[in-house]
Amino acid sequence: MVLVLALGDLHIPHRAADLPPKFKSMLVPGKIQHIICTGNLCIKEVQDYLKTLCPDLHITRGEYDEDTRYPETKTLTIGQFKLGLCHGHQVIPWGDLDSLAMLQRQLDVDILVTGHTHQFTAYKHEGGVVINPGSATGAYSSITYDVNPSFVLMDIDGLRVVVYVYELIDGEVKVDKIDFKKTPATTHSAH
Amino acid sequence: MLKGKKLKLPDRLGSLVAGFEDKDEDSGGSGSVCELGEELEILQPTGFRSDRESETDDDHDHNEVQEEEPMVKRKMKADAELEHNGRQPRHEKDGSSHISVIKTIEADEKRSDIEYEISQKEINLEKLQRIASTGIPEGGNLRATVWKLILGYLPPSRDLWEKELSENRKKYAKLKEELLLTPSELARMKEEAFQSNEHSNAHSDTAGPLIRHEISHEDHPLSLGKASVWHQFFEHTEIAEQIDRDLQRTHPEMKFFSGESSFGRKHRESMRNVLLLFSKLNPAIRYVQGMNEVLAPLYYVFSTDTDEKNASNAEADSFSCFVLLLSDSVDHFCQQLDNSSVGILSTLSRLSDLLKANDEELWRHLEFTSKVKPQYYGFRWITLLLTQEFNLQSILRIWDSLISSPFGIQEMLLRVCCAMLLCVKSRLLSGDFAANLKLLQHYPEINIEHLLQVAQDLTPDTSYYRLSS
Repeated sequence: MVLVLALGDLHIPHRAADLPPKFKSMLVPGKIQHIICTGNLCIKEVQDYLKTLCPDLHITRGEYDEDTRYPETKTLTIGQFKLGLCHGHQVIPWGDLDSLAMLQRQLDVDILVTGHTHQFTAYKHEGGVVINPGSATGAYSSITYDVNPSFVLMDIDGLRVVVYVYELIDGEVKVDKIDFKKTPATTHSAH
Repeated sequence: MLKGKKLKLPDRLGSLVAGFEDKDEDSGGSGSVCELGEELEILQPTGFRSDRESETDDDHDHNEVQEEEPMVKRKMKADAELEHNGRQPRHEKDGSSHISVIKTIEADEKRSDIEYEISQKEINLEKLQRIASTGIPEGGNLRATVWKLILGYLPPSRDLWEKELSENRKKYAKLKEELLLTPSELARMKEEAFQSNEHSNAHSDTAGPLIRHEISHEDHPLSLGKASVWHQFFEHTEIAEQIDRDLQRTHPEMKFFSGESSFGRKHRESMRNVLLLFSKLNPAIRYVQGMNEVLAPLYYVFSTDTDEKNASNAEADSFSCFVLLLSDSVDHFCQQLDNSSVGILSTLSRLSDLLKANDEELWRHLEFTSKVKPQYYGFRWITLLLTQEFNLQSILRIWDSLISSPFGIQEMLLRVCCAMLLCVKSRLLSGDFAANLKLLQHYPEINIEHLLQVAQDLTPDTSYYRLSS
């Protein structure tokens, strides 16, 4: 049972001051094993805060990040799953499923986590699953001002992943769950 | 170290002792002889002491079952003397081989006695207890079986053993399943039982958005609700971490427990399960540092059982016996009960009373002169059943007596603690607060048989019986 926190697009301090307090109260150290962050933190203090939640932190570079040393994309293996991480502003059209699927095949991962649109989405296609955790602070995006704060927690257990989606709607935290299994046959490269 | 006084040794030794002189400060002995040498050192004559010693020896003669035992002891003492005088170990070699032969004969006799008792259809527990309190010989599965019988895990009628054992082991496995699974495993098992169709649709290769299912506020990993499975799981993770840390420190000198071999790790994992399960089933006490030490001898004895089936089920058996062993003293671990009549302070005051009834001089010296209260040394002795004061072999021998004592484990424990105090009386009397505390918190090596004999012979503290209802 491995808990992986996926979040991003916080835009602290430019567009938001901090994470919503209801989210902050839930995020305590000791529970989460890995954190993957799509980017646009934007400052080092946010990275330090995330480090206190969990020492294993992976970040990719968003276009507003002040630290230029984050990579453009990142892949890591957790349990039986290969995860890919990318901010998403590089993939045009932004948020387009087919283009993201192409990126996923390039990185050869089962789960691709991207951001930039500040909207939570979770899609499945033959190559795997694409997840967008949205913006954890609810900061406005290049596309829209109407953003609900959201982030994603994945529970990787063998060949099964349970994705918990945390969204702040009208001041209340709503939690949804998505299940999917990886069949051993789906680890195939591009046809 | 012989303090320049002649030891009064009975005639039995005859020529061996004739013309003997005590010489000071010859650091003595090696191996088994050393133990007896130590004994002499501690019990050095301050007048009272030597009297007491020869007294107990005489008592020894009367109470001992085997004839040879006192003879053996005398001989060993003589050898110790020889060593002290720097005489060559020629005698010792002779003596010790003679001794070991006698000891082996004794052990064999005891072993066959015990085996006979165990092989009866209806086991006479009293008789077994009596033999066991003189020490259970190593080897085979004697100790494991006898402990299980006397603790009440195994029923006295042999025919019911199979049934009891398999039932208990099944119960344990079920408990483990219920309480030790992670929440994701639990959820997975629930779903597999559920077998809902929508899941299989989502898993078909149709592309598209994944279906979201709303869940309650309790059901997610970050939930802070008390009733949440996840929250409880994370609370127990903290306890589990503490248990892991303690297990790393249990008997680090023994390969059985320590080290990175799969052997050591497997044992630590089994012990971890036992302790974790215990903490979940006893939320009032949870896990207290030290419980790992109490579990260690039990688990060790059961896993070194020569019977394959028993050894592989050591985890289940040691869980049940751990519970049985702690059944009357578990309140010692609960801080809230410290000052109550079942708490540790009350037990410590009983120890004090027992000491007072047996040796008022020492009691007075400890309580008033050097102000060493029982809390300072006795807390660990009593809550951990002396596991931190001696090495594993000695602990096993002491526990033989504790478990099989007709007075009950706690009573016998108090007696042994009192005996521990008496056996270092001379050093205590000459020490101040710091020295005494240091001595009692790092109890010196001592002959265990002697210690247990002293404990056996103590006058009980009758005031306790009058007051208790």
